[in-house]
Amino acid sequence: MIVTVATLIARRLLAAIPILLIVSALLFCVLRALPVDPAAMSLPPNATIAEIEAKRSEMGLDRPLPEQYAIWLRGALHGDFGQSIQFRRDAGSLVASTLPVTIQLALAAMVIAAVLGFGGGLLLFSLRDTLFEPVVDVISIVLLSIPEFLWALILLFVFGVVLRVLPFTGEVAPGLPLPRVTGFLLIDSLLVGRIDIFASACLHLILPAVALGLAFSPTIMRVLRSSLFDVYHEDYIAQARLRGLTERQILIGHAFKNAVLPTLTLAGVQFGILFSGTLLVEVICSYPGMGNLMVDAVRNADLPLIQAIGLTYCIVVLLINTTVDSLYVVLNPKLRIR
Amino acid sequence: MVSIFARCLGSPRVLVALTMVLVIAGCAIFADYLAPHDPGEQNLLSILTPPIWQIGADPNYPLGTDSLGRDVLSRLIYGARTALLVAFFASLGAMVLGTILGHLSGYFGGAVDWVIGRAVDVWMSFPPVILSLILMVGLGIGLRNVIVAIVLVDWTRFCRVLRSEVLVVTRNDYVAAARLLGFTHWQTIVREVLPATLPLLITLVSLEMAIAVVVEAILSFVGLGVGANQPAWGQMIADARQYVYQSPWNLLLPIFSIFLTVTAFNLLGDGLRRTLDVRIVEMAR
Repeated sequence: MIVTVATLIARRLLAAIPILLIVSALLFCVLRALPVDPAAMSLPPNATIAEIEAKRSEMGLDRPLPEQYAIWLRGALHGDFGQSIQFRRDAGSLVASTLPVTIQLALAAMVIAAVLGFGGGLLLFSLRDTLFEPVVDVISIVLLSIPEFLWALILLFVFGVVLRVLPFTGEVAPGLPLPRVTGFLLIDSLLVGRIDIFASACLHLILPAVALGLAFSPTIMRVLRSSLFDVYHEDYIAQARLRGLTERQILIGHAFKNAVLPTLTLAGVQFGILFSGTLLVEVICSYPGMGNLMVDAVRNADLPLIQAIGLTYCIVVLLINTTVDSLYVVLNPKLRIR
Repeated sequence: MVSIFARCLGSPRVLVALTMVLVIAGCAIFADYLAPHDPGEQNLLSILTPPIWQIGADPNYPLGTDSLGRDVLSRLIYGARTALLVAFFASLGAMVLGTILGHLSGYFGGAVDWVIGRAVDVWMSFPPVILSLILMVGLGIGLRNVIVAIVLVDWTRFCRVLRSEVLVVTRNDYVAAARLLGFTHWQTIVREVLPATLPLLITLVSLEMAIAVVVEAILSFVGLGVGANQPAWGQMIADARQYVYQSPWNLLLPIFSIFLTVTAFNLLGDGLRRTLDVRIVEMAR
């Protein structure tokens, strides 16, 4: 069975390669349509026209577009994404240092979204046919209407500014060193044995992670509830009731197990969206992840960096979707039969 | 048709949502008459004044002023105009593009379906926020470009959902009958298939408007939106964030405006979905 899943993942990944190629080509074309000149930008303002021309041919900007793309693609495949114009550093290494920060945030947010989503979904469902139903129903739509960046601002305002109980800028308290082993701060701080850094990092993670989690839980909540409704029409629920099981046993032991599948697929799709949702939350909480770097790059028209980060986001989202697809097959025995 | 209207208006959800939308739209349309000040007018002698219910307020500025002494109420009202302009035209554009491609894909199938399906796959592998940011870098700031960017990002939502709906509708006997009567493909799609997908389409447009409002706010917040000379809620939030200790209301009021508008559109979409009773999957979001 492990073999089938492995081949499945491999096949899905292979199918993702042409998509990635097209995505990278599109990215390249959109960014080349810009009215900015990366060669002039990477030189001091007093450079002569001849110097700019020399830089242009050095950067390959005087060649036709398909050739430029081929050069860039060859570099990218070797892990060379070119030099960031504003930081004068290798764009690939900039991405590599900020990616773990974003992954850590996204994972923490996903856990929170799942806990709130599944808990809320069960609660919503158990309140069905009661007086509360229309009330919680409207509340869930209202919650659905608050995107992650508004949650981040609201939480920042309430817990950071008014109550002053949570820090809301950066990854750790200023002054603390940042140990870098794996790039994941929570793991690294434990690896070097600094509980104080670990605690500070956890505190700093709460606000952005909860903001993201809150924004993504209502969808999970509503889908879990509606798939529970579907499941309750099945014969095995009636049969379980005839066997004399309590409503609680039926809900947890029979209905929930079956309703969880569609919800998990959705949670997977949501995880892909949540991952890109980190961008705004990072900007608002000054969290030093890839999103913050992206906005920085976008504001400064730092083309090589935008390209590298844009492609990284696509790769991560494609990886997440592929994994979710395969997990779905693992969890759903019906799909395993050929 | 009349009975459908009556049924929609009979739903309290739709009624409440529609009222909210109309009030916000009223603000947007009559902004010139409602706003007490010009939204760009600066008064550097009274900056960051609090709203009327706090001590030290200036009755000239009912909701206070921002860091450049501009009237917050007027900027909120003109911000509604920006938000709704984007919401209306962007969702209309995304709907037209997505509907056409979705109908072609579902109706003809085969190679057409394959090409459009792969295009959707490529598009969907781009996270929407990232794609819209990159497009805005390429297009440059401005109201028209925000609309274009949202259309280019969000057409897939319509295309995917409508394709599967068209697949179902096309199997109906009356579609085959229309073909037998000598209808061209074009006539069949417009006269037989499109009307059947209309309820779904209306619901999707309403949800898309909510999304467009959020995207416009995000782009303006980052500074890649409609541009500095046009008031936008996202921009107001970005400005107010720097003075959050001095004047928290400047931050809360635009947040509340966005929230209210998005809720109105979502509630409308949800209400329409229930009353029109179409098979819309939650995945469409």
